[in-house]
Amino acid sequence: MSDPTEVLVEVRDLKKHFPARAGLFRKPRRYLKAVDGVSFVIRKGETLGLVGESGCGKTTLGRTLLRLVEPTSGSVRFEGVEITSLPRAELRKMRRQMQMIFQDPYSSLNPRMTAGAMIEEGLIVHGQGNKRERKERVAELLHLVGLSPRDAGKYPHEFSGGQRQRVGIARALALVPKWIVADEPVSALDVSIQAQILNLLVELQESFGLTYLFISHDLRVVEHVSDRVAVMYLGRIVELARSQALYARPRHPYTQMLLASLPLPDPRRRGRPAVVGDVPSALSPPAGCPFHPRCSSSMETCREVSPEMVEVEPDHFVACHLHAREQQRPGSP
Amino acid sequence: MAAGFVHYFSRCPKKRQGRREDVPLPHDSKRKPSVRQAEGRSVRRGIYVFPVSATMRPIAVPTGRTEGQVSGSSEGKIEGSMTEARSAKPALLEVQELKTGFQTERGWAWAVNGVSFSIERGKTLCLVGESGCGKTVTGLSILRLVPSPPGRIVSGRIRLDGTELLDLPEKDMRRIRGNRISMIFQEPMTSLNPVFTVGSQVEEAIRLHQKVSRGEARKRAIEMFGRVGLPSPEQTIRDYPNQLSGGMRQRVMIAMALSCHPDVLIADEPTTALDVTIQAQILDLMSALQKQMGMAILFITHDLGIVAQIADEVAIMYAGKIVEHAPVVDLYDRPRHPYTVGLLRSVPKPRLGEGERRRLDAIPGAVPDLARLPAGCSYQDRCPWVFEKCRREEPPLLAAGQGTAAGRRRSACWRWEDL
Repeated sequence: MSDPTEVLVEVRDLKKHFPARAGLFRKPRRYLKAVDGVSFVIRKGETLGLVGESGCGKTTLGRTLLRLVEPTSGSVRFEGVEITSLPRAELRKMRRQMQMIFQDPYSSLNPRMTAGAMIEEGLIVHGQGNKRERKERVAELLHLVGLSPRDAGKYPHEFSGGQRQRVGIARALALVPKWIVADEPVSALDVSIQAQILNLLVELQESFGLTYLFISHDLRVVEHVSDRVAVMYLGRIVELARSQALYARPRHPYTQMLLASLPLPDPRRRGRPAVVGDVPSALSPPAGCPFHPRCSSSMETCREVSPEMVEVEPDHFVACHLHAREQQRPGSP
Repeated sequence: MAAGFVHYFSRCPKKRQGRREDVPLPHDSKRKPSVRQAEGRSVRRGIYVFPVSATMRPIAVPTGRTEGQVSGSSEGKIEGSMTEARSAKPALLEVQELKTGFQTERGWAWAVNGVSFSIERGKTLCLVGESGCGKTVTGLSILRLVPSPPGRIVSGRIRLDGTELLDLPEKDMRRIRGNRISMIFQEPMTSLNPVFTVGSQVEEAIRLHQKVSRGEARKRAIEMFGRVGLPSPEQTIRDYPNQLSGGMRQRVMIAMALSCHPDVLIADEPTTALDVTIQAQILDLMSALQKQMGMAILFITHDLGIVAQIADEVAIMYAGKIVEHAPVVDLYDRPRHPYTVGLLRSVPKPRLGEGERRRLDAIPGAVPDLARLPAGCSYQDRCPWVFEKCRREEPPLLAAGQGTAAGRRRSACWRWEDL
């Protein structure tokens, strides 16, 4: 791993608000705040895990970072270069450095293209090598992700789910990126295949010094792959810490609830504390701390004031009034 | 909803009954039958006739209950009868040597290939395995909902309280579905009809099996919605599925499945599409309702965390066969089949130290093609314990217990003692 303090991606107060229109020609009156003021950094060579329930804005955040979705406001710096204001042509060049692996291996591949053609496409777009060199590179990539070079001529439907995800990974690796946003890369796979893909991602990280933003709703998977973990709730990050610290001593009541609701693979330890409520609609989030209606220790301030991110111990950030009192020093993760 | 529907049906001169519902192609294993197929009952949604396969002898002696006896009968006879020792009394649901196949371009694929198990009242059996191993088809076979063609239940016995389900005429089978045996599906989004209110869909299930007035059915639906923890039931029954969240939709499905107080509930990955917090709520709800109503649950899942939390017994399935069957604690303590060992090891566990290597013990390879199974054990190509006998002879599911667990567990491995 490279210097752990070196920052690769820096995100500041990033927002993405989708207009919710009442009618086609009406002016939007409400906004869906999918990402609502998110700040964090991703360090070179690390895996930052991003967890949260469905609808909390994980995927939108991942896409906004790569500018697959235009942000409403805020800044994303990749190696010091501001991404959000980059002109299209510049952005395209930048994209070589940052790639994405998608969740659904059934819909993220073009059914009319062979695996080889899809992997090669990125090389063609970025004008790399001649035909023969590209073919060699495709074979090499297929081998790298555990497929056979002969698989280049196959269409997506000829592969199993795990193999398709391998094709998706090969495609993301084709341009030798520095940073990969992996959006639920193993959620659609069976446990045994999931373990294979996770191992592959870790191996590739070690051999190419990749940096991952690993988005998942599966807390166990995130714990397994991540160095640091960010917990998201209704468009905001509520806790960010080193993986071990977060799982051993979760500070935010929401993180505590998430961890408590995990079914333990141990039949002798049954029974979980009751989990209450559903995620509120992001269209009309509760005032103050968005988690307060489900929180067992909510206080009066929680209903009115939205808590700031506070560093409760080195490298452990929490946005909760319970911890704001302990330490008044506002930090930036 | 209409995707894949046979549009030409109404004009087709060669149309047949049973063909109307979209018939998945042999290779289209990802598709799950919709609830319309599952319930197979609604007049509004069209009547579907499930063809009785040639091998099933139609016998006209239904011993199942009739409508009048339905409600309340499952209460009361809950606990006491389930003693640990196998008494002479047969189990509530008994499946014996069930064999269900699908005709594909490459010949018959046996999705369920000689599966036997039984469940007693108030108990939960978890059926575990990877996708494509036959878990869902086992559940569908019990309800005789295997899409046919291309599927067919070829042989076996399925007894509910002594009644042989495979021999029942379709008319009587329909009285059992949704009434004595209910099923919950994985996707709460696609199992509900989007153009009817959730209340009317639950009421329909009640009215179909019980002779009650509309008002009474509505009252029962409201009561059921309250029991599954849906907020303000009187309002919620007027909502359409799109107005509810995923967790609420799954609660509606559970309300619908339990509205007739079934003896057996088949739950096919009911929480896979849900978040962990909602999953925890649904699992708690199901076990609470099981305690109240005393139904037997066949829980189909691939999540070993859930299995540990809810199962009494576990059956591990691989390539259409049960390869291990054991009480839940014994299974986690000492798995007796290499596949179980592999599954338990592939689950990501909490890391211990900072610098620990992050490798999981993955099971190499993938599930074999059901239409082209190798000779001998179907797990041979992925098994680290494989030896020459595994490639020649298929291991039968035999008792694999030692000491106290003797007789209570079975494994289909030649080398279970070495694991």
